[in-house]
Parts: sequence; structure tokens; C-alpha cells
Amino acid sequence: MNRSITLGQYLPGESLVHQLNPRIKILALLIMLAVLFIVQTFHALIFLLLFAVLLLASSGVPFSYFLRGIRPILYIALFALVIYFFFNKGGVVLLRIGSVTVESDGVREGLFVVTRLVALVLYSLLLTLTTTPLSLTHGMGYFLKPLSYIGLPTDEVAMIMSIALRFIPTLMEESQRLMRAQLSRGADFESGSIFRKAKNLVPLIVPLFISAFRRADELALAMEARGFRLGARRTRLHEDIIAPRDWAVLIFVLAVLTAALALNI
Amino acid sequence: MYIGTENLSHIYMPGTPYATKALDEVSFSVGEGDFALLIGPSGSGKSTLIQHLNGLLKPTGGRVVFEDLELGAENVDLLSLRKRVGLVFQMAEEHFFSETVYDEVAFAPRNLGLEEDLVEQNVRSALENVGLDWQEVCHRHPFQLSSGQKRLVALAAVLSIKPEVLILDEPTAGLDPGGRLHLFDLLRMLNQQTGLTVLVCTHHMDEVAALADKVLVLNRGKVVMAGPAPDIFARRQELNDLGLSLPEITEVMHCLAKKGLPARTDIYTLEQARAEINSLKRRLKK
Amino acid sequence: MKSRPEILIEARELAYRYPGEENISSPAVYGVNLSVKRGEYVSLIGPNGSGKTTLLKLFNALLAPTEGEVLVEGISTTEEEKQVEIRRSCGMIFQNPDNQLVATTVEEDIAFGLENLELPSSEIRKRVEKVSSALGLKHLLKHPPHMLSGGEKGRVAIAGILAMQPSCILMDEPTAMLDSKSRQDVLGAVRHLNREQGLAVVHVTHFPEEAARADRVVIIDQGRLIEQGPPSVIMNKLQLLHQLGLQGTAPSELAALLRKDGFSIPEEILNCQELVQSLCTSELKI
Repeated sequence: MNRSITLGQYLPGESLVHQLNPRIKILALLIMLAVLFIVQTFHALIFLLLFAVLLLASSGVPFSYFLRGIRPILYIALFALVIYFFFNKGGVVLLRIGSVTVESDGVREGLFVVTRLVALVLYSLLLTLTTTPLSLTHGMGYFLKPLSYIGLPTDEVAMIMSIALRFIPTLMEESQRLMRAQLSRGADFESGSIFRKAKNLVPLIVPLFISAFRRADELALAMEARGFRLGARRTRLHEDIIAPRDWAVLIFVLAVLTAALALNI
Repeated sequence: MYIGTENLSHIYMPGTPYATKALDEVSFSVGEGDFALLIGPSGSGKSTLIQHLNGLLKPTGGRVVFEDLELGAENVDLLSLRKRVGLVFQMAEEHFFSETVYDEVAFAPRNLGLEEDLVEQNVRSALENVGLDWQEVCHRHPFQLSSGQKRLVALAAVLSIKPEVLILDEPTAGLDPGGRLHLFDLLRMLNQQTGLTVLVCTHHMDEVAALADKVLVLNRGKVVMAGPAPDIFARRQELNDLGLSLPEITEVMHCLAKKGLPARTDIYTLEQARAEINSLKRRLKK
Repeated sequence: MKSRPEILIEARELAYRYPGEENISSPAVYGVNLSVKRGEYVSLIGPNGSGKTTLLKLFNALLAPTEGEVLVEGISTTEEEKQVEIRRSCGMIFQNPDNQLVATTVEEDIAFGLENLELPSSEIRKRVEKVSSALGLKHLLKHPPHMLSGGEKGRVAIAGILAMQPSCILMDEPTAMLDSKSRQDVLGAVRHLNREQGLAVVHVTHFPEEAARADRVVIIDQGRLIEQGPPSVIMNKLQLLHQLGLQGTAPSELAALLRKDGFSIPEEILNCQELVQSLCTSELKI
């Protein structure tokens, strides 16, 4: 049994950040990202980075998760540093290796860009780590709502998304099980030509499809048995209301951003 | 040691915050020709353990031993292990993919590189061994069979490699009482007549307790009890505390014993209980 | 408040044929007359493939009868506009909880049916709160279903139905995949609701000792109702049960064997206590 498959990055918690309305969170993130791109001075950027760290700390999510989240962009960051260090010229020469120089403007800009990148990722992680995939979908659905006026079934899409989110881990677990079961019967999924490999996948794909269809069938029945009807009106467990608290947080974030922009001058 | 583990540990997703220790220094062994039971509440690590015995999972620490083969954290020839140790997964009929019962049962021996005439021989004897009519069943579509028959084909699909050890994970899940009895009868016959070593992993002991020579109890990834079946089943309270229950018939004998009657409690079948109660009556008369 | 009929579910000459099976001689369900009273606990037993699940689906208006009719609280299941009401008052729990948990968290799942009933959010929250504490799920509300154990999934499935405040729940082998601790958890919760709140239960099971605890046991074979009555009678019709590949409870089976050996044991033995009581007062008197 493997219980550790997680989808998205959500980590349950009770902090204020966790409890905020996802629409507000998404809106705040969008404004935050815009400001991060506007600021040009180091102290404004450091200010925003510190604010991010403050929020992270308040969310109660262990720092290791953020570090893991940053890991994938490490190479991009390194690459950017190298490019800026060696190819951006100006200011004082800090290092000279033969004809290659590293100059202070390059270092400054390189560090600036990388810090900005880290801040961007931290703010995004803050959203994904503290918001369930489902609320994220609903939140984004809200901003996509205008599309329903041109005939897109946004409610159904949201339901499909949430069912997909529910079943992806289950199906992943199942395919892993299935793979092991066929391996134990001597199946070979690795060697041979590409045709051979494709043919060897049959023992995996056929049962997986059968099971997925059976699940879909049973799920449809179970949903029907619980009173679900396509296109019918539904209410929500968590009303999507924006509480005064949410507004307060949004105003606070805007104030911080204004301060950052002031520092930018 | 015939088959077993030495200090076997397994950690899922090591080095991440999700790391979970599924097995913790598990050591046990099953003798050649034994009928062994592996019991434990769900989540105790049973599935993880038996997947190691089939080389499907690599130990994080310790080793798996089967006769002259040893499987540790380093690589070994897994196929050689899988040729000799067969594993029937829970609800294995859900893994069917072939057009005919024949192809389904022939899948494993073909993968192991047997000649086609030998494959046919193996398929035939496997189907006959599980009590299916080879002529009638082998060209049928597996999905046309009843649920009890499907389970038997799933068993045949592993027997067709002629394993020396057969491991089964919850082999009777979802079967009706008739199907359960039939399946365990088959396993008992295979064990006694062909000397096949059998390891059954289950939490439903009613029909199988009487067959077991040896019992291993897992809880939270650790071996908490191991030994001859009567010794383990005698520890009723400890088993109950783990959320495991004895066969219903054994419970009856315990109830009698609790009333102060000198009844034996190492009783796992109706016939044993009948004989014991008759003898008890005679003893009381004297 | 409208008058509540004493009969909750009534099937009259009920028959059902699956589409595409018109040529197969025996329909999935045929000629079934069965009623379930308010607050009653009915067990359905029968071999694999006997039509028990089909029967539940007919009760839940998931299938429309090909012949005869099903009335739930007096309303025919074929009345399209009443189907949601029927499904609310007769909730159904399927065999595999994995396939009936719809939402990404436990609380959202429990709320799913209530959202379909268009209840206001405050009422939904109140009911989720109530049901989850009744079933011991409060600490799991924010967990995703795939992180739950089998027993927990089973209880979440039940909670989702109970939140809709049904008069009856239909359960299709809810414990087939569970260990004995989880089985006790799930069935204990249901039995409690049955006793305390008069919830009627129709429970399909393969375990004789589960069926024995019902108010009434119904035997189904090949789509037909074969026999019904109190468990003490039905579970002692051993000849019939064995013919169908079913079993009595271990104590009832043992009692029958002992009767053959000349023990005088009353005909209606069902559980351990009854058998031991009877033995201790007559044959094994110290």
C-alpha cells in the first residue's frame, strides 16, 4: 500500500492563509506577481521576499516543503546567474580569467533576477501549498466564469476537474499495483524493440481501461444514487463568500505592496 | 531457511517528508512444504512483505532469502525468483487481459520462456489442478466466467509456472461461503499432494485456520507473534487486541472453556469441535 | 407532517432483465415479493451472482423494473420526478467504497448528496458535523479519500448517505474487503443507528454471522426469493443453505452435527452464547 501519492502540493493546516477565500488568494497572488515584476530596486525586492518568508512562517507549512518546491528551479537560477555574471558588462571588474570578465553590474543584475525568481516561486508555492486543488479549481473557475456566457459549461468542467483530482491518485496506485502483478507473472516492460515494448504494454493497458470504465460506471451510479443530476442546481458545503477577514487581508497585502512600490523609488 | 526474511525493513519514499516505515526488521521463515498464514490488521505491512518475497520490492534494509537465492538492497536476478515463487494478488481476476482463459493462464509460462508444448502442458495441469474442466473452459473468454471461476483461473495463472512456493493475498475476498471452502480445499490438496509450500495472507481466518502449520502475525510493520498455529491461536486476547478474530468455531470452544468446562480450544473446524464436544460429554459422565 | 406508511419498501412481482440479456433464459431478478418495514434490519444472502445487487439497485431506483413494481414509502420507483426523493430516503452503499467517494476531501464527500438536495450551506455544515462525529470521522474531515484506510472509507461512504437522513440504507457487501476490526467499526455504526434511530437496513452479505444479527434473513438464488424468516429459523435450514453454496453460522452448523450425535439441542441455535447455554444446561452439565 502506498498512501503517499499526493496530488498538487496541498498540505492541510488551520492557519489564516489556509482559511482565506481562494478567490482572494488568487487575486492577491496575481497582484503580487505584477508588483514583483514592477519593482527594480534591491531593497523593494528584499522587502517583498521578507514578506513572503513572513507569510510562509505564518502558514505553518514546514520550510522543507518550500525548499523542495524551489529545487526544480535551481538549475534555471544557476543558468541565469552564469549568463548574467559572464555576459552582462558594466561597473567594476570583479574577476578576470583570461579574456573573460565578471563585472559588478552583471553580478548585481544576476542576483536581482534570481531573487525575483525565488520570490515568485515562494508566493506561488504559498498558494498551492495552502489551498486544496479543489478550491484552486473553484477559485480559478470564478475568474473563468465570464466564459459561461459564451456557452462553456463551467460548472460541469469544475465537477469533472474535481472528480479527476479525486481519482488520479487512486488510478496511479492501481496502475502501480497492476504493474507489479504482471511483473510477478514474468511480464517485461523494459526490454525489446519499440514494437515489442508497445505489445508488452497490453497486459497493463487492458485491465487498466477495464477497471477505469468499471469505476466510471460505478461512480456514475453512486452519484446518481446520491441525488446528482446533470445540470441540476446544487448548493455548496463551503459557500464562496468573501468574509470581512478576506477583505482585510487583501487590503493589508495591497498596503504592503504600496510600501514596496514606495521603496522602489 | 527455506523461504523467509532476515531483518527486512522497507521504507516508502525514503528521504521525503512522506517517508513511512512499512516493515521494520522483519525476520521470519517458512519451511519447505509448510502451509503458513500471515495475518495482521490492514495497514500492518502484509502486502509489502509478500511483495518482497516475490522480488517486486527492494528491501531498504535486510534481506529476503529463498533457498540458495538472496535478495538484498543490491541487484539479483529477479526473474529466477519469480519463476519459483508465485504470487496471487488480491482480486487477481481484475488483472486479466487475454481473449481466452488459455492465453491468460499461459501468460506467465510464456514470459518465462517455456516452449509452447510445455506451456500447453502447464496450462492444462494448472487448470485441472484448480478443478476446472480444461476442455470446456480454455477457449472461453475470462469475463464470461462466474466470479468463483474467475478466481480459480487467477490461481491457475500462477500455478502454470509450477512454483515451489505459492503466496496468496486475501484469496477469498468477495467470494461466497461455497467459493471460500472450495478454494481452501484446493490449496490444502495442492499442499498435501504436491508438497507445494503455501503462504496465505488474510484477515479472515474462518476457513483457513485449520490448514495452517505456522502463523506469523504482523502489526505496524513488525512481527509481533510467530510460531506453530496452535500456539498462536491460543493467544486469543492478544489477537483480539490487534483487531484480529479467531474462527467462529474456535470462539465457541472458548465460550465453553470460559464456563469452566475442560474443553480444548485448539479447535478450528466443525468436525474437530464435534469430536471434542462428544469426548467432553464422555469425560464428564465418568 | 404527512403520515408515514409502516411499509418502507415494497416489491411486487418484481422482475428485471438486463438489456442485451433478453435471450438468456433466467432474468437477473424474477417474481420477487418482498417488503421492508420501517426500522427493520433485513439481511440478503445468496451465492455470487444470484441477483442481490440488482435487487438493491431496483430498490434505489437506479434500475427500473421490467415487470412488477417497487414502492418506496408508497411511491413507485418509476416516477421520474420522485427519484431524487426515493434515493434520499433509501440511500445505497456500494461494495467498493473507493468508487463511490466523489469528492477530494472527506467533508466535501459527506456533503455531496446534501449539495444535490440544494440544502443551504449552514444546514449542510450542521449535518456534516453531526454525522462525522457520530461515525468518528471528525479528525479526518480534511483528508483526501485515498489517504484513508478501508474501514475509514467504508464509514465515509455511510456518512455520506446518513447525512441525507434516509429512512433506510441499502448496503451491498460493505465489509467484503475489510479486516475484522474495520468490519466491526462499520457494522457497529450501522447497528447503532438501526437500534437508536430506527434506521431500516437492507444488508447484502456473504458472512453468516453478519446475517444472523438481522431481524430477518432473505435467501436469494438465481434472481428468485427462495426463503425468508427470522435468522434463527433461516440460518438453521442447513440443507437448503448448503445446496446453494451457503452456510449457517458456525454454532448452528455445530449444533446440527451434535444433534446427529444424539445431543438434545433446540432447533433455533444462532450464536455462540445460545449454543453454549444449551450445552451447559443439558448435555454438558457439570
